[in-house]
Amino acid sequence: MKVDKLLISKLEKLARLELSGEEREGLTKDLSSILEMVEKLQELDTEGVDPLVYINEEVNILRSDQMDKQLSQKDALKNAPDQDGTFFRVPKVINLKK
Amino acid sequence: MEVYDKYETVIGLEVHVQLDTVSKAFCGDSTTFGAEPNTHVSSISLGHPGTLPKLNERQIEFAVRLGLALNCEISPVSYFDRKNYFYADLPKGYQITQDRLPICIGGYLPIWVDGKEKKVRIHHIHMEEDAGKSMHDDASPYSFIDLNRAGVPLLEVVTEPDLRSAEEVDAFMSGMRQLVQYLEVCDGNMEQGSMRCDCNVSVRLHGAEKYGERCEIKNLNSMRYAKRAIAYEVKRQIDLLEAGGSVEQQTLNFDPGTGITSPLRDKEDAHDYRYFPEPDLPPVVVSEEYVADVQANLATLPWVMLERLKTEFGLSDYDADILYGNKEVAQYFLDFTKVNQNYKACANLIINKINPYCQEHQLSIAAFPVAQKVLAQFIELIDSGKVASAMAYQRILPVMIEHPEKAPLAIAEELNLIQSTDTNFLEDLVNEVIAAHPDKVKAYQKGKKGLLGFFMGEVMKKSKGKAEPKSTNQLLRHKLEA
Repeated sequence: MKVDKLLISKLEKLARLELSGEEREGLTKDLSSILEMVEKLQELDTEGVDPLVYINEEVNILRSDQMDKQLSQKDALKNAPDQDGTFFRVPKVINLKK
Repeated sequence: MEVYDKYETVIGLEVHVQLDTVSKAFCGDSTTFGAEPNTHVSSISLGHPGTLPKLNERQIEFAVRLGLALNCEISPVSYFDRKNYFYADLPKGYQITQDRLPICIGGYLPIWVDGKEKKVRIHHIHMEEDAGKSMHDDASPYSFIDLNRAGVPLLEVVTEPDLRSAEEVDAFMSGMRQLVQYLEVCDGNMEQGSMRCDCNVSVRLHGAEKYGERCEIKNLNSMRYAKRAIAYEVKRQIDLLEAGGSVEQQTLNFDPGTGITSPLRDKEDAHDYRYFPEPDLPPVVVSEEYVADVQANLATLPWVMLERLKTEFGLSDYDADILYGNKEVAQYFLDFTKVNQNYKACANLIINKINPYCQEHQLSIAAFPVAQKVLAQFIELIDSGKVASAMAYQRILPVMIEHPEKAPLAIAEELNLIQSTDTNFLEDLVNEVIAAHPDKVKAYQKGKKGLLGFFMGEVMKKSKGKAEPKSTNQLLRHKLEA
């Protein structure tokens, strides 16, 4: 895969980031070298080898359907960049039609 | 032929079923609806760094229940994945869902439209979590986020594109609602958002093999809206095609105010969810024994209940249809038949009086004030001929509801409603009536047999409703024809 301006701009959009021209150049270089390394790995023959997703073999780590301690409204909102004491407040996410 | 008749509507559904658990999918926050905003939250549902989700075992159980009821194959192993997107009501920046291998595969739900059964195939059912709620206010530059719902467990039922009309969608959603209520996995309340559906709608010429390009209408939370949205969208697509255009795959929003669908997001913002395995949650393994256990404890399914009401209890299609609609009502009927074996009368009493009363007073049917044992006595009172049915319903039942402890017979006696089969009492009345209407007696004897009804009415009036109709009828005919 080639890391070009189009890809960087798509990634910016997906990650909700706005990069400066300098940052874009740096990222292009970094991503290219990461991809190169991954391409190197792809030279290995992995025929018949299951991908490793879970690093241990445990399954079914479950909890029973019971209530546990919840946060108070005050604590829940405490670290938010913006809130009104009841809700988290964010820039309007949809355009309401008049 | 109208141009719209040339086309066939093709619909597939994604039904979100909010599970009736005590706590959330991956942490112990309460799932109760309607709480003060941002009080049913914890560091896990808020998506704070370094927190670890842990799966609620009931979510697996409910998924297997629904899967078995819908004849799905239950996956012995299934996995969770992350679906990545940014939205203010999704604190982690991803939704935990099942993409690679969901817990239930295949299956079908039987629906009935115009008396015909149709099996709507299920593609799969997967487990996932709900997002929070965003509120938008015209007057404010902000959106307001309540995360109480974030992490509430969901099952998403994805159908094959087997539905052909809004009526079939309605039948499917009603069937699903009833099924989840019978299985006790969800309250089925669409208004509160416990069940929501996305509709994938496309059109194609009748006989065409290929499906048309489809549009997805998001978050329809009432059947009324779903019907209108589908009707609008089908017309829009046909008009577009007839004008020589083509349908573009799009995600649409339906505005109940204007009745139209409109694109939810621009095409260039089309989602790229970049699914990848959720490393925080290990695989879910469901053993054969587990499945057998859930199967053994599975509730009676709605369509089995319907059949039972008709065949075992001999109820009419109409009566059975009403009773099986709600599991509680069906169960109430089954319990009732244990104390009174006049099944038809039990059904009538429930359909005409008990159920309407409970709906009006917003009671669950099990909370009807009068005990079934006493209601059974009420039916016996009518069946024994002691009280006329209409009298019993109009005068005795209201008193029973006021005084649930009183026996129906005692009420009938107090109100002086016991019908008389006492021949002397009846004979006196009959003689009086005959003596009072000599012309009508003559007319009857000359062949106007229809006058019998008149005489019956007169006797009834004089007896104040207490003359037992069958004996009175016999006596009258005997006297008039003597």
